[in-house]
Amino acid sequence: MAQIGPRLDENVHFVKESLGYSNDIVIRELVLDSREPVRAAILYTDGMVDSHMVQGVLINSLLYKTRFKEIELEREEDLVPFLKDAVLTVGDIGDVNNFPELFTAMLSGCVIILIDGYEKAMAIGLQEWKDRGVTEPTAQTVIRGPREGFTESLRTNITLLRRRIASEKMWVETRRIGEVTKTEIAVVYIKGLVEEGVIEEVRNRLDRIDVDGLMESGMIEELIQDAAYTPFPTISNSERPDVVAANLLEGRVAIIVDGTPFVLTVPSLFVEFFHSAEDYYQRADFSTLIRMLRFVSFFIALLAPSLYIAITTFHQEMLPTQLLISLAAQREGVPFPALVEALLMEIAFEILREAGIRMPRAVGQAISVVGTLVIGQAAVEAGIVSAAMVIVVSITAISSFIFPAINMSIPVRILRFPLMILAASFGIYGIIVGVLGLVLHLCSLRSFGVPYMSTFAPFSFKEQRDAILRAPRWMMDKRPESITKRNMRRQSPNLKPKPPEH
Amino acid sequence: MKVIKVLLCLTLVFLLGGCWNRKELNDLAICVGIGIDKVKTGYSVSVQVVDPAEVVANKGKPGRAPVTLFTMSGATVFEALRKMTTISPRKIYMSHTRMLILGEELAREGIAPVLDFVSRDHEFRTDFYIAVARGTTAHNILKVITPLEQIPANELFASLETSSKAWAPTAAITLDQLIADLTNKGKQAVLTGIKLTGSPEEGDQRENVEQIDSNVLLQYTTLAAFRGDKLIGWLNEKDSKAYNYITGNVKSTAGSLPCKGGGRLTMEIMKSNSKVKAILKNGKPEIMVDIHLENDIGEVQCKIDLTKMETIEEIQKEAEKGMVATGMRAVTYAKQHEVDIFGFGDVIHRQYPKVWKQLEKNWNKEFAKLPVHIKAEVKIRRLGTINNAFKEK
Repeated sequence: MAQIGPRLDENVHFVKESLGYSNDIVIRELVLDSREPVRAAILYTDGMVDSHMVQGVLINSLLYKTRFKEIELEREEDLVPFLKDAVLTVGDIGDVNNFPELFTAMLSGCVIILIDGYEKAMAIGLQEWKDRGVTEPTAQTVIRGPREGFTESLRTNITLLRRRIASEKMWVETRRIGEVTKTEIAVVYIKGLVEEGVIEEVRNRLDRIDVDGLMESGMIEELIQDAAYTPFPTISNSERPDVVAANLLEGRVAIIVDGTPFVLTVPSLFVEFFHSAEDYYQRADFSTLIRMLRFVSFFIALLAPSLYIAITTFHQEMLPTQLLISLAAQREGVPFPALVEALLMEIAFEILREAGIRMPRAVGQAISVVGTLVIGQAAVEAGIVSAAMVIVVSITAISSFIFPAINMSIPVRILRFPLMILAASFGIYGIIVGVLGLVLHLCSLRSFGVPYMSTFAPFSFKEQRDAILRAPRWMMDKRPESITKRNMRRQSPNLKPKPPEH
Repeated sequence: MKVIKVLLCLTLVFLLGGCWNRKELNDLAICVGIGIDKVKTGYSVSVQVVDPAEVVANKGKPGRAPVTLFTMSGATVFEALRKMTTISPRKIYMSHTRMLILGEELAREGIAPVLDFVSRDHEFRTDFYIAVARGTTAHNILKVITPLEQIPANELFASLETSSKAWAPTAAITLDQLIADLTNKGKQAVLTGIKLTGSPEEGDQRENVEQIDSNVLLQYTTLAAFRGDKLIGWLNEKDSKAYNYITGNVKSTAGSLPCKGGGRLTMEIMKSNSKVKAILKNGKPEIMVDIHLENDIGEVQCKIDLTKMETIEEIQKEAEKGMVATGMRAVTYAKQHEVDIFGFGDVIHRQYPKVWKQLEKNWNKEFAKLPVHIKAEVKIRRLGTINNAFKEK
């Protein structure tokens, strides 16, 4: 019985049956008194609707307004349009034609009105539930910049974007994904800025998804990214509305998933993961320096332990004599080869980091004390590792925290280990081979058809204004050409501030 | 499945490499100085090896010496070095050698056989300095504990570098430069000498550096002139300085002149430039040396009025005369020994290759007859922070 039948009690009974008499489903039967009494039922999920509105407005208008209106209805079918047109004082009313639609609507917070004798139902959007409210984003903090972060509610998130882009060009397409969860997903873009090919690709990839449920945007990310096997993120995420809005303005597409504050944006480039929202709010010169620092940190986080291993076990001649002697003195009495020493420390650090995240916050302090003491001091004093190795591991660890997007630190964390093994087997030669392989891999990646290393490979001189460097605002008059080729003009090209002429 | 196979193969590649040639830092005996002496059976090689723990340890208690000297003799240098593993617990690691000291006896017999090993071995970098132990053995030089620098070879390296920059009569010569000179027919090599002040027996005692006025010190002396790879004599201090003036190696130095009214006037050389040119006169080559100096007045012990231009000009003239005289003396010395340490032959070779072809075979003799003209131009730029000497009144 997928179709709504003409008899109200059968329909109501079917709904009850289907939901296993779940007691959060409220069913209120009432009698509409138009020309002749018609029985009707209001169905909704308790806790997901605005109960004041249901009681004060919806039921009120159904019960009383129908009485005073002396409108002659020619046929009985006209009751539904009549209710819509003249009775119900609510905004969002939709038609529901069958039970699957009815369930989806009801379980996502709509109020359903079933009327005896009609094979149709009305879904009225009166959603209201407890959510977290807009708070400061915790994963991407800035000193200067808006403090609002996305929430778990899709509606709120779209609102946050609308409040930043008040343009009729910002289009929102929604769909539901998940056989069981029916999670609502919104694809947001700015019509006219976005490449049609990209938006089409997004639609296709989303439509391909056939899963039971979606809990977080990360699950979508894994299903729609270009390359299945790569440690590098090819889709960026943000919980900051200002970042997503800026991305939309550059011609990207945002994918918002209900139930998570992390919004995906595509296509993403490698350099993007080194950019922070704050780069655009601070002075350009300072932002440029900070960006350079991030790139340097990237290489430190990736290569420092392997370079240390390679140089101290194969290429001692590269070190200044004084440094070599000091390093040799520290290694005096260390029983393990440099690789084992480095692995010990790196693994110990990874354990600490993971424990630090999973631990209840109150215990976190204890972890850091134990970590510093055990790794920092005891290991060196016991002669298990050399002090220099502790320095190398520490600088590596700190450097891997510098990325504004946490998902860029993940490939660095993973690739560090193979590079260390390469360094221990082949020295700097091994590192070079490893890095070459890495570069080749990076250049082979694409994000929704856009080469991942764009701005570097293929090289774009214009886009260097916003890659490692961050040009002053008045210089960035064009949109990034690797993302969109439509409507490149971002601002007037002569915005350079000048002193008054007189 | 295919991916797994490929990964397996790759893992094997890593493992089968077996970390070949891997040397942990604590398996190295870091050599900072090598001394080579001639003995009856071949060569005696002394290697100054760092004891890193002792160098870095800043605790007060005296432990072992910061460096150890291993000495071993063998028919060849390489053999002696490898034989050294019988007394050294670790393999000697040569890349950080700062100094190569050659014994005087060895230098007189010829250094080419020894240098072959040093330049052939892949572990050596070519940035260390080479010096000749004057009147003693290289072994004795390397066993002295030095003040200020914990590692004696570092002391030697730093001292040679500083003295060649601030005091001209020494020359900081590296391996490739020496080899270039040895193989160049138009230039003979020179090396700086190093000597011990005091008795060699006292030098390796810790007491030597425990007193303020150390009994035994290492001191660089003047240059040794080579004919081919054999040492044939020592230049005196003025000649050594003149050598550096003519070859344009002076960065800064001090030189004094006698004044008219008695006392001496010392100048600091701030800038020195030399141009060596060959000219042909009647088909015979002659050498023109142009030396340009820029001096500051450094110390005045005589009664002159420096505020007058005439005085300055007079001093400049005097200095020029002195410069020419010292230069000529050094050239004469070289001519007497028939060694072209200045590289005049090289200059002729570059300018008149055809003429050089004829002279090449018998260059040492030809050099002794070569007319050399030296011109000097001295400019005094600054007087320092006072004008006239204040005892003047």
